[in-house]
Amino acid sequence: MNLRKENKALKYFLIIISFIFLGVFLILPLIYIIITALKNGVAAYVNAISDEYAIKAALLTLEATLIAVVVNTIFGVFAAWLITKYTFRGKKILSTFIDLPVTVSPIIAGLIYVLTFGRQSSLFPILDSYGIQIIFAVPGIVLATIFVTFPFISRELIPVLTSQGTDEEEAAALMGAGLFKIFKKVTFPNVKWALLYGIVLCTARSIGEFGAVSVLSGHLRGKTNTLPLYIELLYQGYDFTGAFAASSILVIFAVVVLVLRLVIEKRGEKNLDIKK
Amino acid sequence: MAYVELHDINKHFKKFHASKNINFSIEKGKLVALLGPSGSGKTTILRMIAGLENPDSGEVIIDGKVVNNIPGSERGIGFVFQNYALFRYMTVFDNIAFGLRVKKTPESKVKERVNELLELINCQGLEKRYPSQLSGGQQQRVAFARALAHNPQILLLDEPFAAIDAKVRLELRTWLRQMITRLNITSIFVTHDQDEAIEVADEIVVTNKGRVEQVGSPQELYKNPATPFVAEFIGNSVAVENYQDFRYFDRKQEGEKAYIRPEFVSVFKKGESIQYANSAEEGTVCDKIFRGSSIEIKVKIHGNIISAIRSINDAEINLGEKVDVFIHRLYIVKDNEVILANNSSLVEEEMVI
Repeated sequence: MNLRKENKALKYFLIIISFIFLGVFLILPLIYIIITALKNGVAAYVNAISDEYAIKAALLTLEATLIAVVVNTIFGVFAAWLITKYTFRGKKILSTFIDLPVTVSPIIAGLIYVLTFGRQSSLFPILDSYGIQIIFAVPGIVLATIFVTFPFISRELIPVLTSQGTDEEEAAALMGAGLFKIFKKVTFPNVKWALLYGIVLCTARSIGEFGAVSVLSGHLRGKTNTLPLYIELLYQGYDFTGAFAASSILVIFAVVVLVLRLVIEKRGEKNLDIKK
Repeated sequence: MAYVELHDINKHFKKFHASKNINFSIEKGKLVALLGPSGSGKTTILRMIAGLENPDSGEVIIDGKVVNNIPGSERGIGFVFQNYALFRYMTVFDNIAFGLRVKKTPESKVKERVNELLELINCQGLEKRYPSQLSGGQQQRVAFARALAHNPQILLLDEPFAAIDAKVRLELRTWLRQMITRLNITSIFVTHDQDEAIEVADEIVVTNKGRVEQVGSPQELYKNPATPFVAEFIGNSVAVENYQDFRYFDRKQEGEKAYIRPEFVSVFKKGESIQYANSAEEGTVCDKIFRGSSIEIKVKIHGNIISAIRSINDAEINLGEKVDVFIHRLYIVKDNEVILANNSSLVEEEMVI
């Protein structure tokens, strides 16, 4: 009895601490962003977010995000499938390398590509002769975004696939189903929610990526500036209304992603309940 | 006529030699158990017959054809997985229909066949449920129906009763035995439970450490174990090293040790009338275990503790009591061979097994 009472006190203590922590470090700054963005009136806010360069930056961010998510979804599904359904030499190494972007600082991720494709690289003359520019151009931004986010989807899929084993696939194969059919009818339905969740996380991270993209972008306003870089540029130029207005767009993205995440988690759990 | 044959099969998993020179054959229409402790290679054998694993060397032959290079889906087999491997996002109907639809069977035929199978497994009305909404027994029956959908010649079952609780397991055993007899389909199932194998199978393949120890009917395995492993594994055998101290057995028979099974030991209270009173020996009761339908008595004799079964209708025996012990037969192990030794008082008398 006593223990339970103490536990109750502890429970409320932890709840209060968590809320205060989240309030101070998250909610308060977010509110402050909105307030600052609207400080000079709604007209100034609308003006700031409908600015030509702001829109271009937002579009570029969306473009990089879309490509990164598509590429990483394909790669993530393949990698997770490979790692969980087959045994081969070098499997451990591969699965460790997939995690590399999480542990490496984004700025280093940026520098890696500058070294690989930049002027001092031996690849540069070849790329240059075909007129392909990677560094300080859109392809570089896309590459950096892909690099930073590529573990997200496979990391969501691997635990789910591992826990399910290969029995269902084997059963389907014994009934004569081909690889594609097995994937479509058996594997995919089993990992659907995990995959969607991975895509949401990957999207969120892609939109917000700053470090690696900053190194590779070259900061050409209207050309290679993504939304986070644009915000920094405005901020450095003491345009607080503009900076915070643009930030509010990112905040809206984040809230949308958060809601999606909640919905997917709920649906996933519900499905697990009914169809274990 | 041998229907399924395995010739000199070897299989390695990395450095682990999972199957060592496996040779046996199964006749058409038989119900065969692959029996052995875990890690003895029984599931590997089943998976090689199914085409889920490829042997490193040797031949798998089904109906006179070497099937090593034929995919499992074209071998005419149905497979029931240990945990059934039902497709969890498909209904019972879609699960059973899966194989038929893959083979592009017209939907009307699919419906007809699935309904037929649902009736067979006595699960009408459950076709719209998902696997997780079924009991363990129902799941097993659905897996059974799914494996039978395309009319296979051979049914393979991997530990079909392992995931089911004890009471339902007994019912399902009987049900499966009846089903298989009714369909007259050659069936092979894997189990580590000897009671299950003995009760259900026509023939048992005993595996140990990647080898086949013995192939035979349950009666044969009981009566004439071919190897020390089988002698020890089948029945609740007790190993006795100084078996030569037991009277009334041929003392000239050399061997390392002997196995005694409870069913070959009779225990009598002092004064109870005994058929072979002269050839009984005295022992001390050191434990008794109530088994519900019988009582297991542990008796200390010549420094060994051996088990015997007594009916609950017999007079009660107390701990520490001196009793007369009559041993009907022993299995003497000598150089990897097993020699059966009968009590010399039982000259030429017939026994059930």
